Amino acid sequence: MTAEAAIEAPKPRRQRDRWRATGWKFAAPGLSMIAIVMGFPLIYALLLSISSFTLLHPRLQPFIGLENFRTVMADEYFWHSVWITIKYSAVTVAGEFLLGLAIALVLNRVVRLKAVYFAILTIPMAMSPVSVGLVWHMLLQPNLGIINRLLDASGIGGIDWMGDPNLAFWTVVFVDVWQQVSFVILILAAGLASLPKEPYEAAEVDGAGEVQQFWYLTLPMLRPVAAIAIVIQLINETRTYDLVYVLTRGGPGIATDLLSYFAYRRAFLGLSISEGASVSFVLLLMVLALTVVFFRLVTRRA
Amino acid sequence: MNTRTLTTMLGGASLATLMMASGPARAEDITLHALMEDVPETHIIEAMLPDFTKQTGIKVEFQKLVYSDMHQKLVTQLIGNASYYNVLEVDFLWAGEFPEAGWLADLQPFVDKTGFDLKPFIPSMMDLVGNHKGKLYMIPMYNYSMGVVYRTDLLEDPKLKDAYKTETGKDLAFPQSLAEYVEISKFMSKHAGNGVVGAAMQSQRGDPNSMEFSNYLFSNGGRYLDDSGKVALNSPEAVKALELYVDNIKNGAQKGALSATLDDTSRLMCDGKAWSMVTYWWMLPQMDNKDACPNVAGKVAVGVMPGGHGESGGWGWGIPKNESPELQDAAWKFISWVQGKEASITRAMQGHAPTRSDVYSDAGVLAKYPYYKQALDVVASGEPFPVFTYSAQYEDVLGRQLSLAGSGDAKPADAIKAAADGLDELLKKSQ
Repeated sequence: MTAEAAIEAPKPRRQRDRWRATGWKFAAPGLSMIAIVMGFPLIYALLLSISSFTLLHPRLQPFIGLENFRTVMADEYFWHSVWITIKYSAVTVAGEFLLGLAIALVLNRVVRLKAVYFAILTIPMAMSPVSVGLVWHMLLQPNLGIINRLLDASGIGGIDWMGDPNLAFWTVVFVDVWQQVSFVILILAAGLASLPKEPYEAAEVDGAGEVQQFWYLTLPMLRPVAAIAIVIQLINETRTYDLVYVLTRGGPGIATDLLSYFAYRRAFLGLSISEGASVSFVLLLMVLALTVVFFRLVTRRA
Repeated sequence: MNTRTLTTMLGGASLATLMMASGPARAEDITLHALMEDVPETHIIEAMLPDFTKQTGIKVEFQKLVYSDMHQKLVTQLIGNASYYNVLEVDFLWAGEFPEAGWLADLQPFVDKTGFDLKPFIPSMMDLVGNHKGKLYMIPMYNYSMGVVYRTDLLEDPKLKDAYKTETGKDLAFPQSLAEYVEISKFMSKHAGNGVVGAAMQSQRGDPNSMEFSNYLFSNGGRYLDDSGKVALNSPEAVKALELYVDNIKNGAQKGALSATLDDTSRLMCDGKAWSMVTYWWMLPQMDNKDACPNVAGKVAVGVMPGGHGESGGWGWGIPKNESPELQDAAWKFISWVQGKEASITRAMQGHAPTRSDVYSDAGVLAKYPYYKQALDVVASGEPFPVFTYSAQYEDVLGRQLSLAGSGDAKPADAIKAAADGLDELLKKSQ
């Protein structure tokens, strides 16, 4: 190294440091907002989960360690809720993805009125889950609902959508997929539209059929976008609360007693905010674990 | 005028303005907010609110919700420094929890200050939604004791009478026991025709099925607690009551009973598609309304639960503790007006379920609604759901077991045992 070079060396580092500092300055407002909006509630919820806070005695102290976690985990219905939450998330996300992909592929080929189709598809997404639940509650009402009236008129006979313990779970799944599939369609349609044309042209020259093109080109190239859509939906579905609250209240029996609804009942009916917070933390860990497992699966295959 | 004089004058004027602004609120400036259950009683009072505003200058706004959403909404307001709701409608299930949590103001000083007369209030109502541990936290608002609302035309139908006689050897008449009620309910589902079922049942898990089953329990001689306050639910009477309840869900009720609420059952009954419903006695005038329910108006009656006892409940008015004295005074003005004799009789003339004995014996009320005599029987014979700090949670515990039994996932005996153990655990937790 020459003497000049040794003198010149610190210059780019200083410049790098300055850029870094400038970068942090730009990011600071956003990071502060995230810290306030997400960090603070998360820390507060963690404190609640290890405290003795109830609605009757709204104080954090005394802190009782993992006692709340032990209490909720000792509840036999807690593990049932964990299991059906996992089952519910897997089924709804799979349904949304498969249906969303099919519709996105069809829309990708549509030339006329594309904007109209997209506008119609976004309507369910724009509705709140509570409104969706109420609308479907009316439609599926077993005695006076329009769907059973139509089934009766066609000779099939009405179905007990929400009162049959074997069907209630699938009814909630159906309503959820109906609402959430729009989001998956939009993400996948955007992904499909951004795929390069050249590989398809080359594949056609090589004589590849449509199925082969879909399997060997579309799916692998769509994988990053699909992974994002699936992870977002996995997080959404694991937290499902509104639809269960409006449609079934966890019943019949315990058929639709998802973990979010379990947490709500602990907090607001059992008056124990700390136990509710501990269930929510279990839910958070579940979401994190599912997300990590899924990303590992996707990246390993990639 | 020099600068000093001008400054002094401006300062004085500003101070006077400030003092005026920070002085006691005028009645015309006060608007009371109340979270109310969306039921006929609320609509009756809401229609009378302009009279109260005319008399006092105080405005009152009702926010109406279904029952199941009220508890959470109220609790989140009451744990804060100030509540948006200045007048509280308190269900008897929360009548232990709210005072224990320190959310309700003691109403005795308001009673003493204004000379409000508590004597006309039915004592059982004062015990249910008035006093808690010797202190007055609520003024009873209305009762929701439950009985059987049923179709008289079906009971009197000659064809059905013959068929029932042939099938059972008995005369078709209003049932005298719970077993007989379920038997007739199943018979109606089989023979009444036109899609009519025996019972419109509200067996959704939680408050709906807990309230409904309580009627079956009391009707069959079961109890939640004995006289010493110990859990007495796990009894042969309770198991039999649950067996009959499940039997009626499966063979006497409408499709979807396990997910049905009061809204569903009242629509079904109003539509003429059910022989009976175990419900609040004040649903009778709703069903007997020619405009709202033309299919059943003039053909319905109310009776005490077969067996002699149904479930008794009620609502009370309370004032939040986390409220300014001005707003508390305004809230008390409203409560003492709406529960006064004059307003109570006006409400009763529109179908109100009174908590004052002098309203039940009012000649005008009885002339318009002769069935208030039966209503008084329903109220007098009613037994309460356990009222303690965790009543709302107990409804959830009981509701889950009832729903499990109804869906066939638990045997009635096991469900009753689990419900009894749950009650015992929560009672211990509350002590």
